[in-house]
Amino acid sequence: MTQNNEQVEKLKLDQVGKEVCVPAGVRVVRQGEIPRHFYVVLSGKLKVYRETDDGIRTDLTVLGPGSYFGEVALVAGKPRTASVEALEESTLLEITKEEFERVLDQNPQLARQIIYSLSQWLVEGDKRLEQETVHQVKLRQISWFDYFLILGLSLVLALVFNLYNDNQIPLIHSVGDISGIEQVSLPQALELYKKKEAIFVDARKSNFYEQSHIKGSLNLPLLFFDLQYPMFQFMLEQEKVPPDEPLLVYGGTPSRRFDLELAELLKEKDHKVMVLSGDYQAWKKAFPLGGQPGKKVSAMPLGLAGYIEWLPVSIFLLILIPPVRRSPYLSVACRIVLGVIFVQFALSKIMRPAVFALNVVDYAMMPSWGVNLWALFLPWAELLAGLFLVLGIRTRAAATIIGGMNIIFIIGLVHVIMQGLPITCGCVGEAGEPVTWWKVLKNAGMLVMALQIFLYDRLFVLDRGGFIWRERKI
Amino acid sequence: MNKKLALMAAASLVLGGLLVLGCGESRQPYAGNYRSLEPYAGKGHVELELKENGEATWKLAQEGMSVKFKWRVEDGQLWFYTKEGGIIHANPTEGGQKLTVDMTGQWHPSCPKEYCIIFQRVKGGGS
Repeated sequence: MTQNNEQVEKLKLDQVGKEVCVPAGVRVVRQGEIPRHFYVVLSGKLKVYRETDDGIRTDLTVLGPGSYFGEVALVAGKPRTASVEALEESTLLEITKEEFERVLDQNPQLARQIIYSLSQWLVEGDKRLEQETVHQVKLRQISWFDYFLILGLSLVLALVFNLYNDNQIPLIHSVGDISGIEQVSLPQALELYKKKEAIFVDARKSNFYEQSHIKGSLNLPLLFFDLQYPMFQFMLEQEKVPPDEPLLVYGGTPSRRFDLELAELLKEKDHKVMVLSGDYQAWKKAFPLGGQPGKKVSAMPLGLAGYIEWLPVSIFLLILIPPVRRSPYLSVACRIVLGVIFVQFALSKIMRPAVFALNVVDYAMMPSWGVNLWALFLPWAELLAGLFLVLGIRTRAAATIIGGMNIIFIIGLVHVIMQGLPITCGCVGEAGEPVTWWKVLKNAGMLVMALQIFLYDRLFVLDRGGFIWRERKI
Repeated sequence: MNKKLALMAAASLVLGGLLVLGCGESRQPYAGNYRSLEPYAGKGHVELELKENGEATWKLAQEGMSVKFKWRVEDGQLWFYTKEGGIIHANPTEGGQKLTVDMTGQWHPSCPKEYCIIFQRVKGGGS
């Protein structure tokens, strides 16, 4: 710097150039323009940066008093390689190309100084290039550790939270003692039905019962047993059922033994109870049916959450435009939208896992031993993956996990539509929204967003190798 | 470093906002004791106590049996949560003097008549 100052003083003594005052924010030199001047900073502060055609900036350095710029393009005889902008009001010594060349001829000390500076730039440029290459390679690396981190942490948090949650649920749902309950085969049950020797009780939720049930059966949903039992007694009285008439319970699903649990509770109330054994679905083909097949489920309006869910569909359309598809800025937008949606999904389920467990049961795809584990684990995985996306941590792994969840959701939703199950989605909010092909499209949109993040995300990320605030194009 | 902090602060604000949105409304206007009018009136009525702390009791007068559950308020509607994970929606009417409880466990725009229990507010309770 001392040497630089000496050179500046010398240039002043030689009465070379003219002093110019530059207000803050003014661009003194523009990248790509033909060079006409060399500049020496007398006072103030200026920023040197490069900018790509699509507006991505790389800040190179900040210059202060004694520094100079503009020499690279003049020496190389090529357009300006970077732009320079005043960060504060600055005074510069502006030297024309002709004066600069004359000074270089007459002042070998200054010429050496400039060669030294150019060499320094070259070395620094090489270092920067190496750093950036390493960083880009690291950004694209995904390791099993990333997945282990997100999924493992989700599992640990889910288990610990469940320990202290007021609404705690057992890790594996178990049916109590059912040893004393008589199991009745389908032919035996048909016989009882024909002879009217038993009252048939459907243990499923009312929406399933309303859609299809054994004709003449009564509905006592296991979930509301304590609250609805008086209503059930009232119905038995209305039907003039003798107190010793056996109750034959049916309505299990692959995901939960509603029938066995209800039978156990009714037995505790001193009823004579039997359970229909064998295939869960077999009664639908063997018995005369009542109900309204295809009856639509009422779904509570979701409000703001419902509108936010449409964003993936609009982003899905943006992704169809080729130049936009690869934009890292689109990746950032996708990360924020997807992250917020998944955090919102998670928060609506985390506090009451029992409610979400019943939503899982409704899909009738999960074995009963896995229902509670899934209901505990999934919201935490959604929360962590969503947070990682928003904060820019392990974004490729987080996007993969979210994409995986979307595939599971799409399979579940298509299954519900194809089977005509009378359920709500249970995706966000406890009342849920209807399961339609639109819902499938929204999930497909989110899947495409996850894919876009996986392939093109590289801005504003906290990752191995540090924090990238701006993209540097190599 | 400042940019990192700004990003963290922005993310915290977003999450904080979501958490605040998820907290629900005050239970105070609806906390209190209720007694069933239809279809269980007289001796076989049901007593419902909603406490301001989110706990609730459903008591069958005839059997003397009571069931505890939790409740919250959202958009002026009451949500009852059973231990097994069932949700029952209740709609306050007549300025909170009556509660229409939908026993289907599903949300309906209006309570289906055959699954509806209407409660009348009585004095006391709620704290």
